[in-house]
Amino acid sequence: MSDDAKQSVVRCTLNGRPRRDFVPDNMLLVDFLRETVGLTGTKIGCDGGECGCCTVLIDGEPRHACLTLAAVCDGTEIETIESLDTGGRLAAIQRGFNEKLGAQCGFCTPGMVMAAEGLLRENPNPTDDDIRAGLAANICRCTGYVKILEAVHFAADELAGRSEEAAA
Amino acid sequence: MNEIKKDVKPAKVIGVPRPLIDGPEKVSGKALYTADFIPYDHMVGRIFRSPVAHANIVEVDTSKAEALKGVLGVVTGDDCDEGFGVLPIARYEYPLARERVRYRGEPVAAVAAVDVETAQKALDLIEFKYEELPSYFTSEEAMAPDAVSLHEHREGNIERDVDYDLGDVDGGFADADLVLEREYNCAEICQVQSEPHAAIAEYDAERDYMTVRASTQVPFYVHLMLAKTLKMDQSRIRMIKPHIGGGFGCRTECLNVELICALLARKAKGTVRLVVNREETFITHRGRPETDVKLKVGMKKDGTITAVDCQAIQRGGAYGGYGIVTILYAGSLINGIYQLDAVRYNGLRVLTNTPPPGAMRGHGTVDVRYGFEAILDELSVELGLDPIEVRRKNLLKEPYETLNEMFINSYGLPEALDIVERESGWKDKRGKPGKDGDGKYRGLGVGCAHYPCGASKPVNWTGEPHATVHLKLDWDASITVLTGAPEIGQGSSTMVAQCAAEVLGLDMTRFQVHSGDSKLVPKDNGAYSSRITYMVGNASIEAARNLKTILIEAAAKKLDAKPEDIECLGEVYRAASQDEGLTFEEVVMAALEGTGTITVKGNFDTLPESHGTRKFRGGAIGGSMAYAYAAEVVQVAVDPDTAEVEVEQVWVAQDVGRALNPLSVEGQIQGSVWMGMGQAFCEGTRFHNGLPITGNMLDYRVPSIVESPPIDTHIVESVDPNGPYGAKEAGETSLAAFIPAYTNAIADALGVRPIDLPVTPDRLMELIEAKETEERVAAAQDSSVAAE
Amino acid sequence: MEYMPDFKLHRPDNIEDAVKLRAEEPDALFVAGGTDMIVNVRRGIEQPKHLIDITAIQELKSILPDGDGLHIGAGVSLKELQSNKDVLRDYPAVAEAARAVAGPTHQEYGTVGGNLCLDTRCLFYNQSEWWRQSNDYCLKKRGDTCHVAPGGKRCFAAFSGDVAPSLLVYGAEIDVVGPNGRRRMPLTDLYRNDGMGHLTLEAGDMLTAVRLPKALAGSPSRYEKARVRGSIDFPLAGAAVRLEMDGKTVKDFVVALTAVNPYPQIVKRTDTYVGRELTEAALDEIRELVRKQAKPMRTTTVAPWYRRRVVGALARRLTEELAG
Repeated sequence: MSDDAKQSVVRCTLNGRPRRDFVPDNMLLVDFLRETVGLTGTKIGCDGGECGCCTVLIDGEPRHACLTLAAVCDGTEIETIESLDTGGRLAAIQRGFNEKLGAQCGFCTPGMVMAAEGLLRENPNPTDDDIRAGLAANICRCTGYVKILEAVHFAADELAGRSEEAAA
Repeated sequence: MNEIKKDVKPAKVIGVPRPLIDGPEKVSGKALYTADFIPYDHMVGRIFRSPVAHANIVEVDTSKAEALKGVLGVVTGDDCDEGFGVLPIARYEYPLARERVRYRGEPVAAVAAVDVETAQKALDLIEFKYEELPSYFTSEEAMAPDAVSLHEHREGNIERDVDYDLGDVDGGFADADLVLEREYNCAEICQVQSEPHAAIAEYDAERDYMTVRASTQVPFYVHLMLAKTLKMDQSRIRMIKPHIGGGFGCRTECLNVELICALLARKAKGTVRLVVNREETFITHRGRPETDVKLKVGMKKDGTITAVDCQAIQRGGAYGGYGIVTILYAGSLINGIYQLDAVRYNGLRVLTNTPPPGAMRGHGTVDVRYGFEAILDELSVELGLDPIEVRRKNLLKEPYETLNEMFINSYGLPEALDIVERESGWKDKRGKPGKDGDGKYRGLGVGCAHYPCGASKPVNWTGEPHATVHLKLDWDASITVLTGAPEIGQGSSTMVAQCAAEVLGLDMTRFQVHSGDSKLVPKDNGAYSSRITYMVGNASIEAARNLKTILIEAAAKKLDAKPEDIECLGEVYRAASQDEGLTFEEVVMAALEGTGTITVKGNFDTLPESHGTRKFRGGAIGGSMAYAYAAEVVQVAVDPDTAEVEVEQVWVAQDVGRALNPLSVEGQIQGSVWMGMGQAFCEGTRFHNGLPITGNMLDYRVPSIVESPPIDTHIVESVDPNGPYGAKEAGETSLAAFIPAYTNAIADALGVRPIDLPVTPDRLMELIEAKETEERVAAAQDSSVAAE
Repeated sequence: MEYMPDFKLHRPDNIEDAVKLRAEEPDALFVAGGTDMIVNVRRGIEQPKHLIDITAIQELKSILPDGDGLHIGAGVSLKELQSNKDVLRDYPAVAEAARAVAGPTHQEYGTVGGNLCLDTRCLFYNQSEWWRQSNDYCLKKRGDTCHVAPGGKRCFAAFSGDVAPSLLVYGAEIDVVGPNGRRRMPLTDLYRNDGMGHLTLEAGDMLTAVRLPKALAGSPSRYEKARVRGSIDFPLAGAAVRLEMDGKTVKDFVVALTAVNPYPQIVKRTDTYVGRELTEAALDEIRELVRKQAKPMRTTTVAPWYRRRVVGALARRLTEELAG
């Protein structure tokens, strides 16, 4: 553990709740989330920025929690996979991944879903190429990505009220 | 009490596409994987790894590390003298090296400390003294006559030399109109499952009781090996399998990670969490071995295959692992896909100073299948035949017994070939050389593959059934499926519940599944060789039938009718169609009255005739109750300037017997096809004097979504006579077919034929340039001839 | 918990403080996005006692047209660089290069300055501490052998940033602030042909901005990289081309390369094509000219000769496309 001189105060909003923490300067955001806060949805899949499993949203934009120091998140709004479902209901993008089998083993899923959420907020009507470009930093080893494309389209349709459920 | 509807029908569960039973927790981040268990009082485990490839250990001095404040336990090879390994005949690997280290990165010692900084400091204080030995990084070097043996009991560094010679091979070659011989080098492949290896072990010194959670596909093998290496009774060990972030075969044997973690926990008397990083996961390996495939195949002018001679040499790494099975599979699975009357095989599994490979998806068959389907294409083209027609010419007729006594009872390959031929526009698009308007060369290629549905003879044959499923029925009228079948993302928990639900005519909402806690669920051999759907699915059906019998008897008693007159409609049981009947809840109450909560069991055993022969060594390996089949067509576009190959589209048709869950089946097929693509074009390990250069996800390139193609997926249902509802495997078959379809498509596009894998742009550029040079020389000769 | 070296983090909110901190702590390192730096810290390649995070400095984050061109702050993200209207319209290769860096998530927070100051890369360098220690380290850091060219005393690690060549073809300048104040210099002067010390910045210097000249605004350009995967990969070779035609003949022609040398470089003697027509033969010559000046070494898993061939092919193709 670092000495006090090597710690920083971090005030952030995490999944909608304001927090104030005293974190070691060398602590990665992913470790802060998983080990200090206890939000283990965000995963570590590689030794730095190569797989995308740790993707979270910071101020609405996708970011690798494994390459981000917790201390630099002072003043930011952080969203993790645990923030998406509300009122006991999955968010559209989560429902897409569930219904279309965009998740098999599920380990890349939190990062993939957060990257997709970031994409949909910026571009609510993505084409296949847009989705490929938007999820290009996230590696999935199970699906071959075919059903991930379908999952994102499903969510976009649902958000736009084009889904069967919405029609009904 | 529920009101009974008149038109009630049994729920239809099989054949209906449905999301996974554990999908919602995965997409919401609530699913807990091994590394997600982070108890406050845990110790951090860390491994000291060998910096050298081959050396005698002189001393591992851990005294300074042990003296460091915050270090609670240090273990070395001295702490465990019991070998481990998946095969009873090859358990000569130790959790921590003893006497010798045999590959760079092999665990030598491990520490448990209060935090990661202390653990790292402790590693830095370990003094490792050794005497270097000659090291061998290729099969060829290791097999050299003067090479030092890695293991005294494996002279000449041969883990296994297997041979068979079936039918008249020499006569077959003599009868052929064309015989080709080729040598294919296939790079070593890693699974790169998303989740790095992890274990958490909790040792209760008061009770001498160990609880281990680990990222494994075979919790019961891990259980066995924990007992062996810790020298503890199995009854004192609880093995839990949390959610697993994929495996693809690297976790089908016990790994040193979980054993070291448990050794540390006992030494430090507490809870140790050992989460290794991606580089260490690469080093732990257990992927597909580098394989040199030498093939000779004879063919008649009409496309009939007359004889096959195959040699496979696998670089087997420093320890046996699954090696013997891999080299046997490679040979036995030459058979069973086409009519072959003369086959000869020699397989060599070689020990080298590299991390040990294992049983990767498509275990044993992939590299040999690649070579076979590639040489078949080359023979077809040289004889002026359509490669799909050639395959048709050699199709077999089920029921069929191969030369090595594999029994084929269902065979959907003919239909699969028809589908990919039709859907891809094969007849119009293939065989059109030349550059397209966008400057690219396009081509189509075909490949086929097959894969067994579990080994009929398990690796550890103890006489117990192949699979056992328990169904627990309680007062709440819900059914808990208890299965040891490890859900690793392949959807096994969903499948097991579906099989039971279909029998009982109930909706899936009445079911929950528990898998992978050794103190709760019946033993299961694990998730490998595509055994679960076939074996555990059948066991689940059997269990549900047993439960249904009990429910029918209870309903009969209650309705004062004969059991044979009771009609089970899932949510309603009634004596005759005019009778209003009983709700499921009422039947459950009747069944539990007096007896209390009931648990019924279903078993599955393979038929003895599927066990294969013992007439020749290794003959029993490869024998399975059924085989799944796939045909694939791949369309590529090659950029001649950069030699970059784009896979524009894949068409795949796989015979899965019966698609129990078409959504899941599609997902398995697509993932499999795509993993074959990675092996074909970009994946492969490299070493620098035994150090893994590609021990990260930048240099070991797993395809991204950008270059991953659309996969037009078709399910063929041959309905296997013995499969659960006719089902066969879905998750491995299609991998091997992609690779030859890809290289055959490049050959169709460019007229040059890639041989070695992966077909990286530099390798392809070399072939393109060699062809251009050849053409220039030929043109120069032509013009000089003309000038004369 | 991931193992991280022990360091003190500083978060200055202005350039002067950042530079002062850097001068006070000689082994301190600047970090912006961290997409490369934090990877190297995690692997133990960098073991700084102090890290100076410069993301709180607002002054570094703007793209502003000024009198003589476009001012791009070093802290501007690659995402912003590729989406900025002025950049897209006037300096298209720059936007294209920003889009080609790693993957979309890296582009969200990776910065212009970070990409320009990117450490050089090599198979024998970008590995874990255990790996490099087991391999007796290397010339580039903590060792005395080059594993790419054993016996040599030069480091051949390849500069692998995508953005630099796209800026070089526009004759971009950079602003550097150091202990002795602010200075402006051509971007070419930021680099030298040495994998060990490819940046000419001196202790305490900080790259604060890039300036693209107004005179060349709208001059047509392209950037393309060769890589195995469609994303995430660093370039195996990359080429930026800026070409202005006057009817059928070349008016202005610049080519710059990346990933084939320890520094990003402008290809020499492209000016000899000014006034000439870009015939097939001329294009083939250009391809060979580029290949001759690219000297990739065995620093990636893909063969050096291929990278050399492909960089020529890319330059030729981009030139042909720009010629229309």
